[in-house]
Amino acid sequence: MTAEAGPPLPPLRCRPDWPFFAGLAVLSGVYVLFIVAMLAADLSFTSPRHLLRALASPEIRYAIKLSLISCSLTTLLSLWIAVPTGYLLSRHRFPGKRLMDAILDIPIVLPPLVIGLSLLILFQTPPGRALQQLVPVTYAIPSVILAQFAVACAFAVRTMLVTFDQISPRCEQVALTLGCNRSQAFWRVALPEARRGLLTAATLAWARALGEFGPILVFSGATRMRTEVLPTTVFLELSVGNIEAAVAVSLIMIAAALIVLTLARLFGLRAPLERVL
Amino acid sequence: MNKPWMLVTGSVAAMALLVWGLWWPARSRPAATTAGSEQKPLLMFCAAGLQAPVEAAAHDYEQAFGVRVQLQYGGSGALLSNLRVTHTGDLYLAADESYTRSARAMGLLAEIIPLARQRPVIAVARGNPKQIRTLADLQRPDVRVGMANPEAASIGRTVRERLQHAGQWDALARHITVFKPTVNDVANDVKLGTVDAGIVWDATAQQYPELELVTVPPFDAASETISIGILQRSPRAAAALRFARYLGARDRGLKRFQEFHYDPVAGDAWAEQPELVLYSGAMLRPGLEQTLQQFQEREGCRITTVYNGCGILVAQMRAGQRPDAYFSCDTSFMNSVADLYQPPVDVVDNRLMIIVQKHNPKNLHALSDLTRPGIRLGLPDHEKSAMGNVIWKMLVQLKLYDALRPNLAVESPTGDFLINQIRTGSLDAIIACHSNWTGVRDHLDAVPIEHPLARLTQPYAVGRETRYPHLMARLEDAITSAASRARFESQGFGWRFQPASPP
Repeated sequence: MTAEAGPPLPPLRCRPDWPFFAGLAVLSGVYVLFIVAMLAADLSFTSPRHLLRALASPEIRYAIKLSLISCSLTTLLSLWIAVPTGYLLSRHRFPGKRLMDAILDIPIVLPPLVIGLSLLILFQTPPGRALQQLVPVTYAIPSVILAQFAVACAFAVRTMLVTFDQISPRCEQVALTLGCNRSQAFWRVALPEARRGLLTAATLAWARALGEFGPILVFSGATRMRTEVLPTTVFLELSVGNIEAAVAVSLIMIAAALIVLTLARLFGLRAPLERVL
Repeated sequence: MNKPWMLVTGSVAAMALLVWGLWWPARSRPAATTAGSEQKPLLMFCAAGLQAPVEAAAHDYEQAFGVRVQLQYGGSGALLSNLRVTHTGDLYLAADESYTRSARAMGLLAEIIPLARQRPVIAVARGNPKQIRTLADLQRPDVRVGMANPEAASIGRTVRERLQHAGQWDALARHITVFKPTVNDVANDVKLGTVDAGIVWDATAQQYPELELVTVPPFDAASETISIGILQRSPRAAAALRFARYLGARDRGLKRFQEFHYDPVAGDAWAEQPELVLYSGAMLRPGLEQTLQQFQEREGCRITTVYNGCGILVAQMRAGQRPDAYFSCDTSFMNSVADLYQPPVDVVDNRLMIIVQKHNPKNLHALSDLTRPGIRLGLPDHEKSAMGNVIWKMLVQLKLYDALRPNLAVESPTGDFLINQIRTGSLDAIIACHSNWTGVRDHLDAVPIEHPLARLTQPYAVGRETRYPHLMARLEDAITSAASRARFESQGFGWRFQPASPP
């Protein structure tokens, strides 16, 4: 009932921090080591000769170019869809919102082959065929971009949704009181605040698109010098038992991804969006 | 300009730049290369495991003829699913027979050209470290075995069927460490060392220098043929067929298959435009001509057809002529040159008739009526013509021949001659085939002859010495097709062809 009844609390002893950091280091280190070990194993299965030969082959050079360009295009397209979609879902209530949210998850949960098959069938329906009269899609380059976009965009949308959710709407509301309309508040306040999220969405979409294979194999086929992206090359080399070349191409893919993603992060984080413009 | 608009225009401009980056090399390429070849490339769906020989052959073909073949790779089954959904493409090359059969059963394929044979073997690491020699060795506890999934890949299915038949499947299936989706996945596993032995096609194993192959007797009977099919709806069927012929030519594409350790079939010789000689009984011409015309257009070949009385044709063969195929007026003539031909198929038959002037002014209703004095009779020559030969046998059997002889005004080598003669009015009656009469039924009447011999069967056979056995077999398919049947039947022939029951 009284304060004096209990024994005095022992003084808060500051325990050393090292077990905590050691725990962090061990747990994260295990994963990093795991990735590095895979890379090292890959390296043991190829040689500089195979790498050079891969880089010299016109088919593989074409695949590198197609991969890089189509991924970048997919990324931009995804952002164009993901930013408004994420903003809409985060800031507004409307009938059918839950349904829309659920539909946006479908490309993430569907097996890649099913996405490819669905695209293939979609473009054989009468409207799909009509469109193909104008632009050939199936088994042509647009199908590669569409297949990548179908999946990558869903990831970008998720990221943008989380980003806008985490940004307090207060600043936008202040902007509204200061005379901005909704559009100005979005462009001048919300979007610059979402810069990091935008960058994450872009890198995620780009990386996702680069690794995309299942839908491309079905919807775009594996035609050399036409719809061959880097994962297709790996598949083709594996299917004739040329594991060395498959590994070499995989390493090229990893290198390309690391370079592009590192550059994007450096560039994107250093320069605020306003200054980029 | 404010910042949001710069962001919008900037990203759109970046996209436009990327699209341009994708398209301009594609646009500039055709202009840079062969300006003369405006032909659209052929699109071929090709099993991924076959890419090595096919890519080499397609390259040769482009060098030689300037026609590009775009190869679209994938698993045989996955490609088949694609074919069913989309409506593009010219050729389909599956890794094995079962897919080709399925595609044909679905009505997707027109012609099919065989390329190479393959049989299942056990692949092990070079040096055979685990000393695997027999099927029983695969069941040792220290041996890890990989195999293609019987549901997904046909080598799996073939091997399972074969072993189930021998009662050995269950024991082996229990010892399979892993089932993989394709045969190459299995070979890759052996190469990587994740399994000690894999059941693969011999041609697959031979493409891996790291692997050694062990043949086992139960598998030898399970060999299969790899065949290329022309897609039924290909808009460039003739061009597609030409490439398929090139791929299946023993001195062109099949050499590439051999280089990559496949066991090629005995293919046709290559010719850009094969020149064929077909010997055919003259009576067959009305039913045959259009089929031959269409076949030549589709295959890009040229057929020189020699129509004549079969006695003359056989005499020419005896004198050393070797046509690529022979479509005979009657089985008896085919039998007399059977040594020169592969086993014949019966295609059509033709009934013998007494053909008389319109309204039958002389009242001729039976063979015996032809013995009446004063009847001017024409018969096909019994030595030069199959029909004449059969008629002669029939008349001899009926003991009418001697009685008819006084009336016999003319003997002609073919039925057509006789038709012309009776139409001029120089004859009162002839004996010829229903098909001879069909074209002139408005001018002449006919009386059927009821006798077991009064029916001629026309068989077709491919020459043993032809340089184009497969092409001639496709001609057989064309001649025995439903369209050909309709043509023959409209000319008064009866249909005899019975498709061989599938194995």
